[in-house]
Amino acid sequence: MTAFAERLAESSRQKLHSVGEYFSLAGKALRFAFARPFYWQDLIQQMDEIGVKSLGIVLLTGFFTGMVLALQSSVQLATFGATMYIGRLVSASMIRELGPVMAGLMVAGRVGSGIAAQIGSMRVTEQIDALNTLGTDPIKKLVTPRVLAALVMLPILTIINDFVGILGGNLISTLMVGIPTGLYWRTVWEQIASDGFTFRIIPNDFVQGIVKPFVFGGVISITACFYGLNTTGGTEGVGQSTTRTVVLSSILILVLDYFLTQILLSVLGA
Amino acid sequence: MTDDRRDDAPDTSISPPAAPSASGDPSAPGDERRQEGRRVSERKSVAVRRAIRKELADDASSEPDDEYVEYEDETEAVIELDHVSLAFDRPILDDVSLVARKGETICLVGESGTGKSTALKLILRLLVPDEGRVCIQGRDITALNFEEALEARQNMGMVFQSAALFDSMSVFENVAYPLREHTDLGDDEIKQRVREKLEFVDLDPEDVMRKLPSQLSGGMRKRVGIARGMADNPAIMLYDEPTSGLDPLSTGTITRLIMKLQRELDVTSVVVSHDIRSVFRMATRVAVLNERRIAFFGTPEEMAASEDQYLRDFLGGS
Repeated sequence: MTAFAERLAESSRQKLHSVGEYFSLAGKALRFAFARPFYWQDLIQQMDEIGVKSLGIVLLTGFFTGMVLALQSSVQLATFGATMYIGRLVSASMIRELGPVMAGLMVAGRVGSGIAAQIGSMRVTEQIDALNTLGTDPIKKLVTPRVLAALVMLPILTIINDFVGILGGNLISTLMVGIPTGLYWRTVWEQIASDGFTFRIIPNDFVQGIVKPFVFGGVISITACFYGLNTTGGTEGVGQSTTRTVVLSSILILVLDYFLTQILLSVLGA
Repeated sequence: MTDDRRDDAPDTSISPPAAPSASGDPSAPGDERRQEGRRVSERKSVAVRRAIRKELADDASSEPDDEYVEYEDETEAVIELDHVSLAFDRPILDDVSLVARKGETICLVGESGTGKSTALKLILRLLVPDEGRVCIQGRDITALNFEEALEARQNMGMVFQSAALFDSMSVFENVAYPLREHTDLGDDEIKQRVREKLEFVDLDPEDVMRKLPSQLSGGMRKRVGIARGMADNPAIMLYDEPTSGLDPLSTGTITRLIMKLQRELDVTSVVVSHDIRSVFRMATRVAVLNERRIAFFGTPEEMAASEDQYLRDFLGGS
């Protein structure tokens, strides 16, 4: 029993230490964003890698999510004779929840795993040590550009995801439910406007839809870099880091989504 | 004592048939043949070991490229490990002291796991000793913070066992990396410097500059690693098993390059190696690490002539 308690205490101590290192990495990555030298080329390359190259998968998933949302809601709303409100339902769901979460999960799978594998491989092939010996801080060179790129690109991907999702809903509601496109888009706007505005011009739905992916971008990139930098055990270790990154990022996205929604609803009063 | 035990082992394995032979068993001729075979094998082994030691001693004193220089004690100490001790979950180094003077090539040898690579990491200030101090060009680097350590490393070039080239960058970008990071050189000057360094390591710039590290052979990767390490003209070069995994020709090329670097640029080098032949060719002094301590620190000739049993065993015994 004592041995079990000791193992438990040791395991907890290590977990807490890892959590501390995780936040320390996040702090350093953000602090280095304001320190010279700044790796602009790496930032642009990562924005391309994280944003532009994820566009296809985000467009595809967003479009089909919007379509299935319209299809399901048309069946439910038909029982109340309220199919004209499909636009409201699709836009609220996409902008507030599905857009950020879907984009987050897709990027976690595609980009998070890629970052963890790349940095993990650099770790096990001594390239991180080489950076250190060449007088470069690996966090500044590798982590900061990836975190900044994710912070910028994930909200942009989410906006695109929201738009194509609503477009997919439009396609289904017009072709299969028979709602005119004009009416569909009017109900979409009514939904957006009904939740109020921040600073009088920014719809509260948009605030929710932007804050969440911003946080998710940070979570995905820092988790991937954290596991990548702590990779041990050769190629097998790289595989483990990749898996852990996708699992933890996905869990954090779903858990944080709830708490962020709670906070944003109370702050925005929507 | 350990050797005795090792020598006993084969005897034990054949002792059941041997025991009756001692008491006049008819199977004795077979045993005698085996024993005779073993005696011949031991004689050959001793002869081979003597030849190796003689060859190593020749390598140490032949000075094939006239690069050998006597290092007087008053020459500037560039690298100094002063009573350094370090332990993680077990002790790694215990009271290790070592001095590398300007232009010297110190080779660190020893069995695997004796702390040779750890000593390199201490010099690079990637690790901090628990006790003692590490001085580079007279400056104690033990107490430096992370940023200061990064700056201190700019005066050192490191060649890794795996070369550790950045695989997403071309050969040109790899060699240019330290120049872009730490100098204000323009693109043309950087290109010129990269060409010079690649030519220095006997590579054709036109042929390799645009290639990715994955397109190069092991020996070429090591040479690019040396070119990257020396790109910013550091005063100190560190090599972690530079010839491991290479064929004899490539091993000779890398060894000659390390000697050329010392001879032409007066670089102070520390080389961790298991390749005794190369060590005897390039070392001005050899440090042998055994059981966390320096077991020997002297010239290759002194090492070859040593009667110390551990050193004799290490060099192949006789």
